[in-house]
Amino acid sequence: MKTYEDLAGDGGSNIIEQVEALGEKLRSRLDRIKYKVALMSGKGGVGKSSLTANVAACLVDKGHSVGILDADLNGPSICHLLGVKNSQKLTIDDRGVQPGAGVHGIKLMSMDMLLSNPDSPVMWTEEADATAVWVSTMESTALRELVADTDWGDLDFLLIDMPPGSDRIDNIRSLIPELAGVVEITIPSLLSQHIVSKSIAKNNKMKVPIIGLIENMAGYTCPHCEKEGPLFEGEDVESLAEQKNIPYLGKIPFDTRIGRKTDSGSLYYIDNKDSVTGKAINLAVENILKSIK
Amino acid sequence: MKFLCIPCDEKMETQVDGIMPEEKKNLAMKFKCKKCGHSIAMLTNKFETEFVSKLGVQMGGTAAEATEAPMGVMAGSLAEGKDELKKGAPTEEDIEWTEEAKQRIQKVPFFVRNMAKKTVLSFAKDKGITVIDAKLMDEVREKVGM
Repeated sequence: MKTYEDLAGDGGSNIIEQVEALGEKLRSRLDRIKYKVALMSGKGGVGKSSLTANVAACLVDKGHSVGILDADLNGPSICHLLGVKNSQKLTIDDRGVQPGAGVHGIKLMSMDMLLSNPDSPVMWTEEADATAVWVSTMESTALRELVADTDWGDLDFLLIDMPPGSDRIDNIRSLIPELAGVVEITIPSLLSQHIVSKSIAKNNKMKVPIIGLIENMAGYTCPHCEKEGPLFEGEDVESLAEQKNIPYLGKIPFDTRIGRKTDSGSLYYIDNKDSVTGKAINLAVENILKSIK
Repeated sequence: MKFLCIPCDEKMETQVDGIMPEEKKNLAMKFKCKKCGHSIAMLTNKFETEFVSKLGVQMGGTAAEATEAPMGVMAGSLAEGKDELKKGAPTEEDIEWTEEAKQRIQKVPFFVRNMAKKTVLSFAKDKGITVIDAKLMDEVREKVGM
């Protein structure tokens, strides 16, 4: 009886040919983007998305072309921050799906752009008995399509706003093996540092390059007098970076205006470059640039 | 995965028509031995169907088909996706699909949707039917024995 290897082809399903074609498509997108950087934290609520948007604004201010991939499939927020409304029609042409045009020329792709209503949840089926396997596999596929089917064009930077937790980095790493690295973000609280240290350990084990650690919400800056005060009790984040042997990229004081939605047509950084928080963002971005170039 | 006709010791070929899977759950693929004509059906359970869905490919499809529909898997799977995403709905110049039929075919797993469309269209053409509705789709399923 013949064996698998004796039978030519793949049985007529043409799966191999198609998987290879999908891989080439993904590669053709990625080859036009110089640096791919993921911003992540094991912990939720540390200000990843607001910081990602403002890091993008800072890079644009330095003359770079920037896109943001909102990899937080179930809690997307980048559209909101960059002023792209859900009512905006999705443009699909021969080149793929056109990215959203965010403020300051930042391109973006997010699940929010694909949903019919602003309050629509991300659900892969209306059936109540959808299995966890189905949801998990669909999320991996969705991420691939968001990267590969978006017409990013030529970019200097693609920032990837990761969801809370460290599980999604597996997907990103397999999609984008040439990832310049991840920027880990924590707030000073011990709880956050405890969880982020696990995320750093995982990335080290997986040999995902870590650009460094940002200490976000590091104290409170009064928008009126710019005096600083503590916001969280916690140990020095710089010592966590030292302990994990990764660069400390800087501390960014909390400013109530940083996460505001951009109805004004501008992100916090652009309007407040000279504030204490604005300068801190700039310093962190300078450190990121030094690390990856 | 390949199938071998044991009496003939020949590879069985994937049949790209005659497929009508139950939406998002089970799948039936037909294979035929070119030499003796014997046919078999491979039936998958819900979990196996889901696993193949992840690849974002179409059974029996081509490289061009795999890459021509941007965000094609999400278009067919998002419960509340935008209409612009769902432009892959079936069209055939002289055959009309009712809204319900379009929705049902859209629920067929992405990787076998084209094959299911072909099966329904072929059935409709054979019978001289110009409007495909949910009832006709039930008939097709009945006919192909899935």
